[in-house]
Amino acid sequence: MLNFLSSLRLFFALCLALGLVFAWQTLLNRGPSLYGSPWFLALGALLAVNIAACSARRARTAPLSFLLIHAGLVAVILGGFTSRFLRFEAQLPLRAGTESDRAYSGNAVYRLPFSVKLESFRLDYYGEPAGVVTVMHADGSRDYPVQEGSAISLPEFGAGIKVLKLARDFGLNAKNEVSDKSPYWHNPAARLEISLGGKKKNLWFFAKFPGMHRAELPFHVFYRLDNADIKNFTSAVLVRPEGGEAFSAEISVNKPLRAMGYTLYQSSYDPAEASYSLLTVTRDRGLWAVYLGFAALLAGVFLWLKK
Amino acid sequence: MAEKITLLINLSFALALAAFGAAAAVYLFRERVPRRVLPGLLAACWLALTAALGLLWLKLGRPPLSNQYESLLTMLWFVFPFSFYFYRRYPAPEALWPAAFSAPVLLGVASLLDKTARPLMPALRSDWLILHVLSSMAAYAAFALAAVAAAAALARRKAAEDEDLLLRLAKAGFAALTLGIVSGSVWANTAWGAWWSWDPKETWSLLTWLAYAAALHLRRQGWRAHKFAIMMIVCFALVLFTYFGVNFLLSGLHSYA
Repeated sequence: MLNFLSSLRLFFALCLALGLVFAWQTLLNRGPSLYGSPWFLALGALLAVNIAACSARRARTAPLSFLLIHAGLVAVILGGFTSRFLRFEAQLPLRAGTESDRAYSGNAVYRLPFSVKLESFRLDYYGEPAGVVTVMHADGSRDYPVQEGSAISLPEFGAGIKVLKLARDFGLNAKNEVSDKSPYWHNPAARLEISLGGKKKNLWFFAKFPGMHRAELPFHVFYRLDNADIKNFTSAVLVRPEGGEAFSAEISVNKPLRAMGYTLYQSSYDPAEASYSLLTVTRDRGLWAVYLGFAALLAGVFLWLKK
Repeated sequence: MAEKITLLINLSFALALAAFGAAAAVYLFRERVPRRVLPGLLAACWLALTAALGLLWLKLGRPPLSNQYESLLTMLWFVFPFSFYFYRRYPAPEALWPAAFSAPVLLGVASLLDKTARPLMPALRSDWLILHVLSSMAAYAAFALAAVAAAAALARRKAAEDEDLLLRLAKAGFAALTLGIVSGSVWANTAWGAWWSWDPKETWSLLTWLAYAAALHLRRQGWRAHKFAIMMIVCFALVLFTYFGVNFLLSGLHSYA
């Protein structure tokens, strides 16, 4: 039995089987994921046993690099199993000014051993986005960088365009007046005064809804934003542990907060609601084994490379 | 600066084509002159590419590693140091043929890709980007050289003589790919909160890693010479799918790459 479990034939068979599963899952499978099925877990377990048995058989004679690589792989797979069964992950939705200790995963609600208050949420852009009006007609199109008050002359049509107002996040207030819903460029729009044939029309053009007012004009007008790339998004939070001292922290993409054995990640935000932030809370008890395995694997591989 | 970068890339392409011509002349006519100029042409090609990538880095204000065009040029950059390292160990023009073939092909493919540089999206704004992409591209470069060297060895019926070169390239690629997968996994845990998400790129990288692991083990079982050369070509097909196919056919967390 040990001979079979430690054989390279079993390893090759497992590689082939895993390769086929990966190809099927990524290219063809439209049903539930195969990665959660018991037989896939059994394949993973068998691979760990195969690698461990192989290492045990050669432990006395094998070089250090061999032992490190194989022990590292076994640790990574075992860590993966621990993560699979013991990892906690839930979503923590927050609105600015609110505090919550409830996290959600599917239909389940979890009470965290700490509460999080969202003090503020902010989006950072690489620079100030720039508005551009494009005028398109049968002979071509032309871009005009615009600001409020800019004027565009179109002598070929005997027309002119004046930029009356630029909105970052177009919305209407209770009095039905146009006002930005947030300081962010979620729904950019331009109110243009178009002079044509002695008449003037005031029209709104939206970057996200191009093609408006086509029938009303002898040329097409589009409004868009350039350089509206988001650099990062950040939640400023106040964390209040049960029976502990509250502390402030910032959580942004690639800068999670680790506290009380949990890790809080900046997951998402809602362009329709500027004060909303979605955090992901995780607790992964298998992570240390995975990282230990990674360290051993890398050390082993580079020792092996030096040979 | 954009014109200088284009000029340097074009210069690099011209030098790569000249190197390919020199390698072909050595192969077909056993000429001494092209044999002597081949290393110089490849070195000049590498210098021009290095200057182009350096200027691109300056222009973008970040390492040029965030889209397929930038990563392909980086991958090509690694082709040269690997080739020169092995040329020092095996000082025959044959050791440089894979580079002379790969360089114009990779530059040609790069010229077809979208060159639009966008600012980094939030998830990519991390120091891990450099280690993860550099190690992955180094791996792909080594595997590309191994595949081309394997094809050349099979064509010349010298798979047994060239096996050591193939093995060393495969080992270098395997070590770099291991670092690429591990660094990507640690980064994923920092950015997304999960060290493994079964994203198609992750999955195909793992499949590629398993394929090379199996090939290296099979070699120990006696699959040497032409069998090992064939395995290097088959495994590289997986690299190509992981690098290009996944991007074009499958969507996932790596859809920007």
